[in-house]
Amino acid sequence: MPNAASRRHMGARERLQRWLPKLVLSPSCVLVLFFVYGFIAWTSYISFSDSGMLPDYTWAGLRQWTRLWQSWTWGIALHNIWVFGLLYIVACILLGLLLAILLDQRIRAEGVLRTIYLYPMALSFIVTGTAWQWFLNPGLGLEKTMHDLGWQSFSFHWLIDSKMAIYTVVIAAVWQATGFVMAMFLAGLRGIDGEMIKAAQLDGAPIWKIYLRIIVPQLRPVFLSAVVVLAHLAIKSFDLIVAMTGGGPGNATAVPATFMYSYAFSRNEMGIAAASAVFMLAVIAALIIPYLYSELREPRP
Amino acid sequence: MSAVAGRRFTLARALLYTILLLFAVVYLMPLYVMLTTSFKTLEEIHQGNMLALPGQWTLAPWREAWGSACIGLECSGIHGYFFNSIKIVVPAVLISGLLGAFNGYVLTKWRFRGHKIVFGLMLFSCFIPFQIILLPMARVLGILHLANSTAGLVLVHIVYGIGFTTLFFRNFYAAFPDELVRAAKLDGAGFFTLFFRILLPASVPIIVVTVIWQFTNVWNDFLFGVSFASGDSAPITVALNNLVNSSTGVKAYNVNMAAAMVAAVPTLIVYVLAGKYFLRGLMSGSVKG
Amino acid sequence: MSFLHIHNVHKRFGSTPVLKGVDIAIAQGDFLVLVGPSGCGKSTLLNMIAGLDTLSDGELLLDGVRINDLPPAKRDIAMVFQSYALYPSMTVAGNIGFGLEMRKVPRKARREAIERVARLLQIENLLSRKPSQLSGGQRQRVAMGRALVREPQLFLFDEPLSNLDAKLRVDMRTEIKQLHQRLRTTIVYVTHDQIEAMTLATRIAVMRGGELQQLGTPQQVYDDPSNLFVAGFMGSPSMNLIPGRVVERDGEPWVALDAEETQVLLPVRRDRDALRQWYDREVVVGLRPEAITDPASADRREGDVHEAELPVALVEPTGADLYVVTSLGGKRINARMRPGGAVEPGSAARFAFDVTRMVVFDPDSEQRIRSPAPDPA
Repeated sequence: MPNAASRRHMGARERLQRWLPKLVLSPSCVLVLFFVYGFIAWTSYISFSDSGMLPDYTWAGLRQWTRLWQSWTWGIALHNIWVFGLLYIVACILLGLLLAILLDQRIRAEGVLRTIYLYPMALSFIVTGTAWQWFLNPGLGLEKTMHDLGWQSFSFHWLIDSKMAIYTVVIAAVWQATGFVMAMFLAGLRGIDGEMIKAAQLDGAPIWKIYLRIIVPQLRPVFLSAVVVLAHLAIKSFDLIVAMTGGGPGNATAVPATFMYSYAFSRNEMGIAAASAVFMLAVIAALIIPYLYSELREPRP
Repeated sequence: MSAVAGRRFTLARALLYTILLLFAVVYLMPLYVMLTTSFKTLEEIHQGNMLALPGQWTLAPWREAWGSACIGLECSGIHGYFFNSIKIVVPAVLISGLLGAFNGYVLTKWRFRGHKIVFGLMLFSCFIPFQIILLPMARVLGILHLANSTAGLVLVHIVYGIGFTTLFFRNFYAAFPDELVRAAKLDGAGFFTLFFRILLPASVPIIVVTVIWQFTNVWNDFLFGVSFASGDSAPITVALNNLVNSSTGVKAYNVNMAAAMVAAVPTLIVYVLAGKYFLRGLMSGSVKG
Repeated sequence: MSFLHIHNVHKRFGSTPVLKGVDIAIAQGDFLVLVGPSGCGKSTLLNMIAGLDTLSDGELLLDGVRINDLPPAKRDIAMVFQSYALYPSMTVAGNIGFGLEMRKVPRKARREAIERVARLLQIENLLSRKPSQLSGGQRQRVAMGRALVREPQLFLFDEPLSNLDAKLRVDMRTEIKQLHQRLRTTIVYVTHDQIEAMTLATRIAVMRGGELQQLGTPQQVYDDPSNLFVAGFMGSPSMNLIPGRVVERDGEPWVALDAEETQVLLPVRRDRDALRQWYDREVVVGLRPEAITDPASADRREGDVHEAELPVALVEPTGADLYVVTSLGGKRINARMRPGGAVEPGSAARFAFDVTRMVVFDPDSEQRIRSPAPDPA
């Protein structure tokens, strides 16, 4: 930083040059402060207010929060996101790791296969939902195909079965994200020192043991990233559920995101909607902030 | 590393390829079914096998999806919504990208006290569940007379895209040699000259990554579209959902699939043409990069 | 009157001092080399002169003008960077001409200047290439061309040869020296390589821990180091620093150095007056390897040679010389002898000490023990 004496000697041009960087940064700062952090504050306040169809700034304490936790649908939504999130994360990581390890064996058409596994990530959840809704259609989809192929007893009604519908969403979501998790693991595998593996081979370790004991433990940072990213995607999941089941049958596949949307825009219960949104934010913040902090802490030269 | 397996063709390798191919088939199946269905007649869909190729190829479902399918009360297909999405995507990508590039430049090459906090705030904004901003945003768009307009959605996508574009450019410019910047300052280059003459020409890879990332995200967005735009100004994802999940009339699966393909084609093309950059964006969107 | 005057310059990063009051003045046409181990503050000082870093305290004067507060572009200074810092998106010609373009030099004049510099550096055939298509040595030349074309008052070099391989480094070193002799420009050059410093400089500034240790001509710094650090840092193989004691013989100071079984006694020739105050006290005696030789190679015309027989611990032939290692004051001592002599490890050999080149240090303050008025050497 220049001292006061030097600042006085500067011309207007130099002074402008000194302020330009901050000037250029400021529109983005203003936008983010207002539209992100201002809105977070507003929504948080609304969750403690009397707001219904219109915002009502009367302080209502925890009334909306109590109503939220007493809501039957919110219970279903929490249960669903828990089931969905857990299955989604575990399945994506297991399948992604498996595919990455298989692809890491000097496969001839690796590029093509990688492209095939990853393309669903480029699709909109709405397209994915539409496709899987059709694919799993009880009357005309997979079930009928199996019957046509001679497997008469095959039955797959999950999409319209309120107990099973959430699992169809899991299948579609896993289909969409596995390729990405695979790519993360593949990048991690490629970063491991090959000499170490040669050394292990010379020590006489079988391949599966080399992976289990030497390679996979070194992928810990990738596991961490994958869990954080997938958990964050799961909590935000909205589109896929709307497109595949619309939250139904009934409320069977409601998740916090669809719950919030319907309370905000169909039921006109702004206060409850705000409370549910704040809850979602809190969960994600608890997950993301420590992660970002650890990622950014190491100094850059 | 790839050092584990040998090159010999053994039973194990045959098994390996079989598994990989099986997965490939599973991953391609929904796309295949979507495509074949879109070229079948409704009659064939009801009678035939989902996995079979069309017995009689027809373009009618595509034509109907594009030009005459009923979405809500309007029966003019999805083409209008397709162009809505383009009208949203182009300015949103350009403006958020430009802002991100400037932010990344300032945050790495013109550091000031508190630059870390600014970056941290922008970074966190990438990860918030957007439900937290739906209610106030709906009100603000109303106040600005931007509700139910593509312009409103452009604003929304810019605001919530800045975090990611800033992240991309910041990480890229952090690795850009400081000595070059110093050399240019000694040569007499100012703030903008340095950016446009020295940094930007070297930024092609990260520009591609950013454009692809933002394009894919904005094109595929549904939440903002369904919350802030209805009727004529809706983007294609919203129109597709309305078409597919409307409860009126007979379900025209072939038309639905054709419409889904129309919605999917732009991002698929980008993915096929620039998969490497697409992946790089995904990775730096999750890991530090 | 000095051309570049670095006056009492301080730099603190937070509360950590990086430069603690550095004073250096050089004349026009001087080649000043700032040398020291990494972290000594030499690069920080260079960046301050360039205007890329600010001063916490002190003053920089260039040709009598205070430049502390001028932005880099207004200082009339050019710099060659360690990584060369060539703009990747521009051609060689574009790189060299960029500074002129920023100064709004017309296109035609710019082209002429670029061509003149390209001729000077023999890179005319590279002008339309991109930096990525150049070899290390070519990049180095382009980086120099970019600095030369502006014809600035002062050139700064920030370890410009450290990215080249050994052979190219020697070639480029010669070329920089020739360029300086031809153009008579004023240069400030940073390096951690003391050989580079010795060969290039007209003035050397040895730095350590943010403080200037010694400023002088290469020969002064080499022959007349002002403290133990400079003595050990400059020269390769480095100066022998031998713990010993000052004793009185016939009213004159001598130094006594312990060998394995005997003691070597050497008369003091330099700084005699000062050392009279040091009778029976511990000191550190500095003798360069070339001041300890075999009796036949000793220079007796100017020197004052004293001989001693000592056991040989190790023999290291380098081709041109034979380094013979023995032990004095409990330390390994290098002597430079003529190759081909019959010196064998394990046997004894005669060593000849040129005491006119001997310097003596205070082991506590690590400073040279000097007489008030410098002795004529």
